[in-house]
Amino acid sequence: MLKFALKNMAIKKVQIILVVISIVISAGIAVLAFNVSNQVSQGLTDNTPKYSLIIGSRGSKTQLAMNTLFFVDEPLDSIPYTLVNEIKTIPGANIEEVIPFAMADSYAGYKVVGTTDGYFGGYTLKEGKLFGDDTHTAVVGYNVAKAQGLEIGKVIYTSHGANGHKHDGENQGITVVGILDRTHSAFDNTVFTNIETLWALHGIGEHDEEHKEEHVAQTKSAISLLTATNEPTHGEPSNGGDHDTEGDTGKDESSGENEHEEHGKTVSAILVKTDGLASNGIITEIYKDAVNIEGKSYFLQAINPDETIRTVKEDTDNTKAIVYVLCGVILLMNVMVITIITILNMYHSTKEIALMRLIGISAGKINLLYVIENAIIGFISVILAFGVSRFCLLFMNEFVASWGIVINMSRVSLVEILILLGVFIISVLPTAICTVIMSKRDSIGG
Amino acid sequence: MIEIKGLGKQFQNETEIIYNDMIFQQGKSYMLLGASGCGKSTLLNMIAGVLSPTNGKIIIDGINMAQATQKQKDKFRIEKIGYIFQDFKLINEMSVADNISILRLEGVDVSKMDETLKALGIYEKKNAKIKHLSGGQKQRVAIARALVKKPDIILADEPTGNLNFAIGEQVIKALTEISKGKTLIAVTHDERLAKYFDYVINMDEMTSGISDIVSPKEVE
Repeated sequence: MLKFALKNMAIKKVQIILVVISIVISAGIAVLAFNVSNQVSQGLTDNTPKYSLIIGSRGSKTQLAMNTLFFVDEPLDSIPYTLVNEIKTIPGANIEEVIPFAMADSYAGYKVVGTTDGYFGGYTLKEGKLFGDDTHTAVVGYNVAKAQGLEIGKVIYTSHGANGHKHDGENQGITVVGILDRTHSAFDNTVFTNIETLWALHGIGEHDEEHKEEHVAQTKSAISLLTATNEPTHGEPSNGGDHDTEGDTGKDESSGENEHEEHGKTVSAILVKTDGLASNGIITEIYKDAVNIEGKSYFLQAINPDETIRTVKEDTDNTKAIVYVLCGVILLMNVMVITIITILNMYHSTKEIALMRLIGISAGKINLLYVIENAIIGFISVILAFGVSRFCLLFMNEFVASWGIVINMSRVSLVEILILLGVFIISVLPTAICTVIMSKRDSIGG
Repeated sequence: MIEIKGLGKQFQNETEIIYNDMIFQQGKSYMLLGASGCGKSTLLNMIAGVLSPTNGKIIIDGINMAQATQKQKDKFRIEKIGYIFQDFKLINEMSVADNISILRLEGVDVSKMDETLKALGIYEKKNAKIKHLSGGQKQRVAIARALVKKPDIILADEPTGNLNFAIGEQVIKALTEISKGKTLIAVTHDERLAKYFDYVINMDEMTSGISDIVSPKEVE
């Protein structure tokens, strides 16, 4: 039966190729669209490190959260590192962990993040170790290591600027000491260093003032996070502006202080883990108004990352709904196209069916023959559609990487399987109905 | 043996054909002559179970085909009857072998295919596509397909209709030769082929080589 079905299919290869192309395109698009929208949506929640609060310069909450958790976009203005210690001692708040976060340089297009070992909570190493207190060492993401052929002990050189536009030929090397396991998150595409390393790369904290000034001058315009600019952010008053009740200690106040500030240790955000909502409330309340740090006024914000990401996710889910509707329309068109092509094919097969009936082939066998043929077509189409969707995911991966999402190529959801199963059934059902109708007609005259 | 009793067939255009009682003996060959529309093909189709009679009985080996279910008729047709058509009823895009192997769908043993093709002189065309064969060759393939399953009854509806006399004669000669020992009923217009059959039945003039076969009467 199968052998004959294949021979019978060979006769109609042009029509069959058209049907297969039609199914592959529609089913492939549907599966791809679902997979991408689903993984983007899930990526925003599943891969989000759990922090109670993120403290950063005042500005866009989304930008602060997305930059800190997904390494997307530019960081907001930098804030003094001394705040890390101050947060730990906020009266009434039970602080479990405070993690500094700074983003500055890049390596081969991958962003370089300065932080502490605490940032890797929940993540595991594929090989090597965390950088601990060792400066000029790095832990690299899975994709970075794979794409750049990095191994433990290899020395890499970063470029100034988070986008890697400004290359510093004299840059100091960083030794890879650890490679993260694959996480299917933005961590895969990032290089992590000790925060002191990041400062050292920019000459901050070194004793050689001359060298330091030279270095700062080089990077001043490129990495705002490492230089406390005190400029207004997203419509907010500038640091040290009229809101400062303790005294006008803004950037313009004293060039000597500013120079000290620019040479000081800064971060772009601080991640905080507390014991609960009460502590969160205390901290959030503190940063509602301008705060004075080292005699200078700053406008900061403490955001709940979960809430912010949830808002982003809601927007994504709205897009997802549109994607689902489009998938439905595509599949509906697929049903129509397959049905029309099947009916046309069956019409052209009328003679063939009548012939088989005349020589004694039963209606059941004829039905089975055509159902097998279309099952083969459906199966091949579904497999190809799946393959095409996976191939396209490779390109989509590069696209969504800019959102801090890494698509897991091996993730297959139940809905995807159901879509493909539905397409398979759609490809067989019209034929089954047509053959039942047509095989009952004994087309012979008397 | 095929026995026909009180057989009649009415079509949707209200044309009715009434057949006189007839008996076709096992192992004999019959040639049906007659003008178009006199009911020759209809008779073959009713014997084959493709058409159902309006009245009467067709008793084959004790079974009344007129009352059989479609499934029983299909089974009977595939097992007992070899049907040869004027327009061959072959799949042009397939090879000779594939056109015969199609019977395997119903579990028919086609192991005698080579032998049958050789007997009909077209073995060398076994793997050729039907569309590349001549009319005579196509008809031989159709005959081979009908005979390869070793049926008890062979029905041939105008098997030479699309062939010139010389080739038609070759085909009939081969057909009657290979059908020896089986019941062969062939419809043809060409009286010159009558010599190859045991009996000739003129369905128009009610003349026949056997006393109990008479031609049908057509009633408008």
